Amino acid sequence: MRVINLLAVMAMASSMGCGSSSQTTVDSQRYLLSAEPTGAIGIIAAREDTEDGDTLVIVGRVGGSKDPWIDGRAAFTLLDAAVTVVGDGEDSTENEMCLADCCASERIACTALVKVVDEAGALVPIDSRLLLGLNDSDLVVVEGIAKRDESGNFVMLANGVYVRR
Amino acid sequence: MVQRRLLPWDYGVRNLFRRPSRSGLTLVGLTIVLLLVLVVVGFIRGLEASLAATGNPNVALVYSLSSAEDIENSAIPARVAGLLTASVRGIGQSYGRDHVSPELYLGTRITTENIRKPGMGLVRGVTINAPLVRDQVQLVKGHWPEAGEVIVGRLVHSKIGADRDDLAVGRSIEFDGANWTISGRFVAAGSAFEAEVWAPLAQLQTTLKRQDLSLVAVRMRDSNDLADVDLFCRERVDLELKSVAESEYYAALQTHYRPVRMLGWMVVVLISGSGVFAGLNTMYGAVVGRVRELATLQAMGFRRRAILLTLVQEATLLACAGALAASTIGLVFIDGLAVRFTMGAFMLEIDSLAIAIACGVALLLGMLGALPAAIKAMRLPVVEAIRAV
Repeated sequence: MRVINLLAVMAMASSMGCGSSSQTTVDSQRYLLSAEPTGAIGIIAAREDTEDGDTLVIVGRVGGSKDPWIDGRAAFTLLDAAVTVVGDGEDSTENEMCLADCCASERIACTALVKVVDEAGALVPIDSRLLLGLNDSDLVVVEGIAKRDESGNFVMLANGVYVRR
Repeated sequence: MVQRRLLPWDYGVRNLFRRPSRSGLTLVGLTIVLLLVLVVVGFIRGLEASLAATGNPNVALVYSLSSAEDIENSAIPARVAGLLTASVRGIGQSYGRDHVSPELYLGTRITTENIRKPGMGLVRGVTINAPLVRDQVQLVKGHWPEAGEVIVGRLVHSKIGADRDDLAVGRSIEFDGANWTISGRFVAAGSAFEAEVWAPLAQLQTTLKRQDLSLVAVRMRDSNDLADVDLFCRERVDLELKSVAESEYYAALQTHYRPVRMLGWMVVVLISGSGVFAGLNTMYGAVVGRVRELATLQAMGFRRRAILLTLVQEATLLACAGALAASTIGLVFIDGLAVRFTMGAFMLEIDSLAIAIACGVALLLGMLGALPAAIKAMRLPVVEAIRAV
């Protein structure tokens, strides 16, 4: 309860800029799942097999970029759990890649952007590290809706996140 | 009574004028040392100020994911500017225009009418939105460029190694096989833009036979909204974009130039050290020539400490005069001098900190330079010193 209150206060403080009086209160427990959803698939499979609007569960590791977080927003990038990250510029085999610009194109196929959204479909305006207590390389299971466009971009609109500890 | 007294203040001052050539030479030596200190500090301060002035915390630079940190190598689709405007909320607006500036940025050889060898310059293709995003930029002469025209920053001559008059409004320059008339001149609060040539984006694209952009600069209403630009780049992976706050981009360059700045501070220390040794040498000469005079003062009853203080006073006065002369020369002749570097050009900045450092070094030179020689002279027995020739 204390954590929820703290989040509410912090969200209020961050949203009250000059000329703004809007207040945001967010219950982080709404987005943190207490039990792991079943039927999770990997990022690579999700990118290949899902259609726009499909409800699905994906599993992956927070990462896929040097900075997987979007500051101040409940959004982060997930890397397929089967992919191993090697040091920048190191030789890599199948299912291995580095986080430097040389592997940028390869990373697209095995990473996904996760946006935690509210009932109205709007992105929650709180940093996911604060909202969900996530850390780099955490293995998470995300439940939500796939969003795809004609250009092949894949985004997971998450309703709930389960963190495997 | 005499024994407790200090020597009169004007005794030390008059002594300086009793040996005008020696005092003059010491003053010149000290002035040169302090001027060198000022130049190096001015270089470091100018570089720091230029990079700090260029980065705006509300501006995001959107460029190619595969270009590493080098925007010159970036190529992104021209439609990115429109997509950003349509997709991202929180973009600033004024005069009915969104603060979104599509730009083409390149390094190229620029020729002026009288230049001997074309110089490597920086050219930015811009639209009328650019000054809305880069609000440091002020057109101080001429007009915004139309077809076949460019505007030049006030440090472009330094960047390409040309004569300043060659870049006057109405003159022509040539790059990438096209002639451009200079329609205006701009300043940008000491930022790196001042070393750039700005041309109309559409015509630059035609000249270069390019349809893409190097970057899109977006100015948000609030720096917290930069996250939405980042979100857009990560969502539209097909465009292969990345975004970085302009202030972070130039802060990273500050880090890149840290070894240069560290080297600069080391040079300041070395020059100051050599100045102290030069001062020591001069003061040894000056004190040795006055051994009889100093012994006579002791015989008259002045304490060694008082005589020592007078010697330090003389040296410090000379050093302070040197600091004054160096600061005057620095402010008149060195402040604002343009220096070329990889990112463009910047101006040497003789600011209050630079002058304070020069004055501090002068005090150090005066005190440390005089003390050892004076202590040595004071150790001689009075009788022996009076007999000395």
